[in-house]
Amino acid sequence: MINANLKNSYAADERVLNNTYKQMFVYGMMIVLALFTFFANDYMILIASQMGILLIAVVGINILTGYTGLVSLGHGAFVAIGAYSVTIFANLAEGIIPAGVMPFFAMPFAVALAALIGVLVGLPSLRVKGLYLAVATLAANFIVIFLIEEDLFQPWTGGMVGLTTHAPNFFGWVLDTKREMFGMIAVIGFLALLAAQNLIRTRIGRAFIAIRDRDYSAEILGISLLRYKLTSFALSAAYCGLAGALLAYFFARILPEQFELTLSLNLVAALIIGGMGRSMGPVFGVIIVVLVPELIKVLFSSAVGGSASAAQFRAPLQEIAFGLLLVLFLLKEPLGINQIVDRILRAANRWPFARG
Amino acid sequence: MSMNRRTFLGTTAATTALMGTPMILKAQASEYVLGASLPLTGPFATAGQLVAPAFALATKLFNDEGGIAGTPIRFVTEDSGYVPQNTLANYQRALASEGANMIGYFADSTGAMKLIAPELKGENARIMGSTSFASELADPATHPYQYMSGPSYQSQFDILLQNIKNEGGSKVAFIFSNTEFGRDPIEHGKATAERLGLEVVLEESTKPQGADIPTHVTKLAQSGADHCILHGYVTGVWPQLIGGARQFGLPTKFMGTFWGMEKLIADRVTKEAGPFLSGYEGVMPYRYFWDREDAPRYQQYAELSKVMFAGTPLENYMSTWAIQTMCGLEIAMKSFRDTAEAGKELTADNVAETLSGISDWDTGGFFGGNVSMVNNAIGTGRVYAYDAESGLFNPKSDWLSV
Repeated sequence: MINANLKNSYAADERVLNNTYKQMFVYGMMIVLALFTFFANDYMILIASQMGILLIAVVGINILTGYTGLVSLGHGAFVAIGAYSVTIFANLAEGIIPAGVMPFFAMPFAVALAALIGVLVGLPSLRVKGLYLAVATLAANFIVIFLIEEDLFQPWTGGMVGLTTHAPNFFGWVLDTKREMFGMIAVIGFLALLAAQNLIRTRIGRAFIAIRDRDYSAEILGISLLRYKLTSFALSAAYCGLAGALLAYFFARILPEQFELTLSLNLVAALIIGGMGRSMGPVFGVIIVVLVPELIKVLFSSAVGGSASAAQFRAPLQEIAFGLLLVLFLLKEPLGINQIVDRILRAANRWPFARG
Repeated sequence: MSMNRRTFLGTTAATTALMGTPMILKAQASEYVLGASLPLTGPFATAGQLVAPAFALATKLFNDEGGIAGTPIRFVTEDSGYVPQNTLANYQRALASEGANMIGYFADSTGAMKLIAPELKGENARIMGSTSFASELADPATHPYQYMSGPSYQSQFDILLQNIKNEGGSKVAFIFSNTEFGRDPIEHGKATAERLGLEVVLEESTKPQGADIPTHVTKLAQSGADHCILHGYVTGVWPQLIGGARQFGLPTKFMGTFWGMEKLIADRVTKEAGPFLSGYEGVMPYRYFWDREDAPRYQQYAELSKVMFAGTPLENYMSTWAIQTMCGLEIAMKSFRDTAEAGKELTADNVAETLSGISDWDTGGFFGGNVSMVNNAIGTGRVYAYDAESGLFNPKSDWLSV
């Protein structure tokens, strides 16, 4: 028997948080985040901010891979485009646009540019699918990093040496501490997640899902593959661009090596571990990819001490432990952590009449 | 209650004592903590694993000497995998767990130094050394708390180019890895070459690992350079480039900078591929470990190494990379000790002030003579040449200052 799920209007049926447990979970998390901003120490703020930035990018990958079924191994490129364009825009527009409103122009510019290039990178998706598409998108990562490092563009991109970034300034309020930045990242991250969740409930989102489930059936139903596949690429690239812009604001310096293939693979790994095609999948995935290695470090260092000779031996072990944990998660639940959490929430919802 | 002179004095004394207590408690830390990030995994794991034992040696040595004004020190070390963000996270974690007891940090890349630099302000400021010789860091105005334990890469290029000029060379090639590390001194090197009347006939960037050797060697051959400076490599590429050029029959003279001057690498290459590295020259800020007759500090290290690393290759030899780390730690310790001796609190500002004021310092043999910190760096070095037969880098020049 299912409890607390009585719906007596269409509005109730359409709600995102359609039962009390989900509501309690989400509202509880919002309160925790708000308190966290004020009471966490600098280290926790740093890790949480990194998670927030990665989360936004993974939400983008989720739209593309999770909902539209298109695999990309090159989305690190869009994070790079976001990070570099927000900084280059601010450098070039310095003196033309007042500093206090710069982020209102620079961030949308970065997001729009990432989306535009996303459309270009998405073009092969009309001809190839699956692994072939993954390889085609792989090129995007290499091309973008190559261009950033190229001498020709060095006056703008800084080449290998990287760029010193700006702290965002909102009407004179400069977010020059990591804590203030975390506040912004948390709010934008929450809104980004909410927007993605709502997008999937619209005509566009349903078209994405139809394409994922069987693209030629979708086309027969009247869904334009050209339009929706490219929309999906543009949206996911825009999310990654936004993540990049926040990354540039957050870190004092951006270097091309921060956006190499490892980042693209991390984004996909986080999505697979968290749960593809699920709204909360990216959240759980990012927790595993960013937080767990940190916890392993803390755990190992408290177990064997922080001396260099201990670190020498535990450093490779930490990597192995993290690798094993990933394998274990995927073996235990191939559909991602989201599935595990779902089971727990479902059990709570039906208790005491049924479990799971 | 009426306030007379006695109660007033009493109250004032009590209030002062109460307000002063936290300060006294803070000043009397039971131990000082120095944090460090090392690349124990990742592309530079070889270097990181070789440097790590130096921290054990440093702990023993410095604490046997009485730590900092009687207070012992302890190192907290973590792996970074050579990812700058990881080093930043390690720094923040150490700061959160050790608080005010942590008085210094040792970072493991230029990127990490640049990422952490803006965090070093107010209560979070700590004195910070690193493995980097990046020229940009040698600027107390922008990086007041960060220092370098030798000459910047630009200064190393200056030393090499001056040496080429002295030898009568005229055409120089720069081959460097396509990394921030590799590109750092190139523009400056070109300017210096021009000033000295040397012609830069080739600027070639390569991958930091697994470079396409035949292509680069062909370009070098076409350029007709009589000298070639290799920069931005640690364990690979530079030996292969020299080997490739020798196979090609090129007479070009090769030179390197600090990270390409390790005996362990040169010896391994000689053992596996023959003695073609003989005559390879490069700039090294420090004495090599075997040259310790006039280096009392090295002798102390050697005695400790014999006991602490018995049965390992480190028993008799300390790598150039570990020497660099030790030099960085020595500079930090001198600054801490001098600051404490002057009766000042070990805040980052006080220590930075002491550090930038270090002058005419006898390091115990790291460098040729006494040294001074100029722009938070030590601008001295010497040119050495490798002899494959003896497996030693022998001095080719006197100690040069820039």
